[in-house]
Amino acid sequence: MDFEKMKDAVKSIEMPETMKSRVKKNSNILEKEKSVRFNSKKWISVAFAVAVLLLIVIGIPLFDRNGNLVSNFTVTAYASSDDGNQLYTNLSEEKAIFELSTEQRIGVIGSVGGDGANLIFTNVMLNITGEDIDSITYTLSKGKFVEDVTLTAKERANKDWLLSEKIYFISTEPGSDISQGIKEIGNSYTVNYNEQDKYKYTLAIPHDGNDVIVEDMIIKVNVKYTDGNSEQQDIVVTQEPNSISLKLN
Amino acid sequence: MLQQAVWSTGQDIERIVDTYGNMLFRICLVILCNENDAEDVVQDTFINYLTKAPTFHDSEHEKAWLITVATNRCKNMRRFNFMRRHIDISDLQLYSKDVESYGLLDHLMKLPNKHKIVLLLFYVEGYKVDEITTLLNITSSAVKKRLQRGRELIRESYRKEND
Repeated sequence: MDFEKMKDAVKSIEMPETMKSRVKKNSNILEKEKSVRFNSKKWISVAFAVAVLLLIVIGIPLFDRNGNLVSNFTVTAYASSDDGNQLYTNLSEEKAIFELSTEQRIGVIGSVGGDGANLIFTNVMLNITGEDIDSITYTLSKGKFVEDVTLTAKERANKDWLLSEKIYFISTEPGSDISQGIKEIGNSYTVNYNEQDKYKYTLAIPHDGNDVIVEDMIIKVNVKYTDGNSEQQDIVVTQEPNSISLKLN
Repeated sequence: MLQQAVWSTGQDIERIVDTYGNMLFRICLVILCNENDAEDVVQDTFINYLTKAPTFHDSEHEKAWLITVATNRCKNMRRFNFMRRHIDISDLQLYSKDVESYGLLDHLMKLPNKHKIVLLLFYVEGYKVDEITTLLNITSSAVKKRLQRGRELIRESYRKEND
C-alpha cells in the first residue's frame, strides 16, 4: 500500500466550480442578512428582558402550572462525545440540544433480530440529583433504553445467547475479534439512587424509516424518596436538525 | 465605512473559499462519502467562519481552525444516519482528476471515520501527530493508535481485493 499514492488520490479531488460559486454566493447572502439583522435597540430590549427574567428566577420560588413548588430533584442529561468529553445539561423548560455521536453505531452491519432498524440510537443518558432519594424509575412513551456491550468472537457466534440477552445489533471493525453490540433494556427501568453510575443506558428513538421522528417522545421520571413519597417529572424529546432536544414538560 | 466593511467581507469570502474550498471539500467528501453532505458541511464551516470572525495568529492557525470545525461538523452530520452511506465508485470520477485514484479512494472511504480522519490529516494534509492531537482534541497515543490501525485496515482491504 503506497500512502503517497493515496495522498495524490485525495489531493486530486477538487470542489466543482459550480459548487464553489454556490458556496460563495450563499455565504455572501447570509453575511448581508446578518448585517441587516443587527439592531442595537432590539438587542438592548432583549438584554433588558433577559435581566428581568433572571431577577424573577433568582428572586421568586418556582411554581408549576398548578401552583405547586417544582420538584425537589434535578434531571441531568449527558452524553459522551467521540473525543471522550462528556456534555452535561440540567434540564429545564428550555430546550437542551444534543448533537450527539452515534458514530460507533452507524456502521451497524449485523442484525440478529428485533426492531432496531427503525430506531435512532443516541448517546443521551439521564441522571438525577436530589436529597433523600431512594430510587428512580424511567418510562418511555415509545422507543427503548439500550446499552452498549462488547462481545468476544465466541459470544458473537452464539446466536441463541445473543437473543436471550436481547443483543440485537452488532458491529465489528474489519479484522477485529471484538464486536460492539446493542442490548435492549426495554421501555422502562428502575435504578437505586446510589447506583446510577452503574447504569449507562442510552435512548433509542423510533423513526419513520427516513430518520424522522414523527411524534415527540415522553420520558416519565418517577422519583421515590426514602420516606415513601414519590414525585414525577416528564421530559419531552424532540427531533431537531442533526440533533435532538430534551426539555421538561 | 460600512461599504468598506461589506467589501472586505465579500473579499474575505472569495479568499477563504478559493484558498480552503478544495481542501475542506475533499476532507468532507472522504469522511461523509456523500457530495451533498460534503457541500453542506463546507458551506456551514465558511458561514461559521464569517459569523464568528475568529482572530488567527497566521494562515496555519486559520487552516487548522477550519479543519477542526469541518471535521466536527462531519461527525455531527453522520450522527443520525443509522446506515453508512457510501458514494458510488463511478461518482468519484466527478471529483477526481486521476483515473487510477478511484480504487484507492474507495478503500480509504470505507474505513471507520476515526481512522480515516487521522490518516487524512497525517498523510494528505501533512500534519504531525502532535498537531493532530490539538486539532482533534485527543491524546497523542490515540492518534498513533488510530494511524496504526488505519494503516492496517487499509492494507488489509487492499490486499483482499488484490488476492
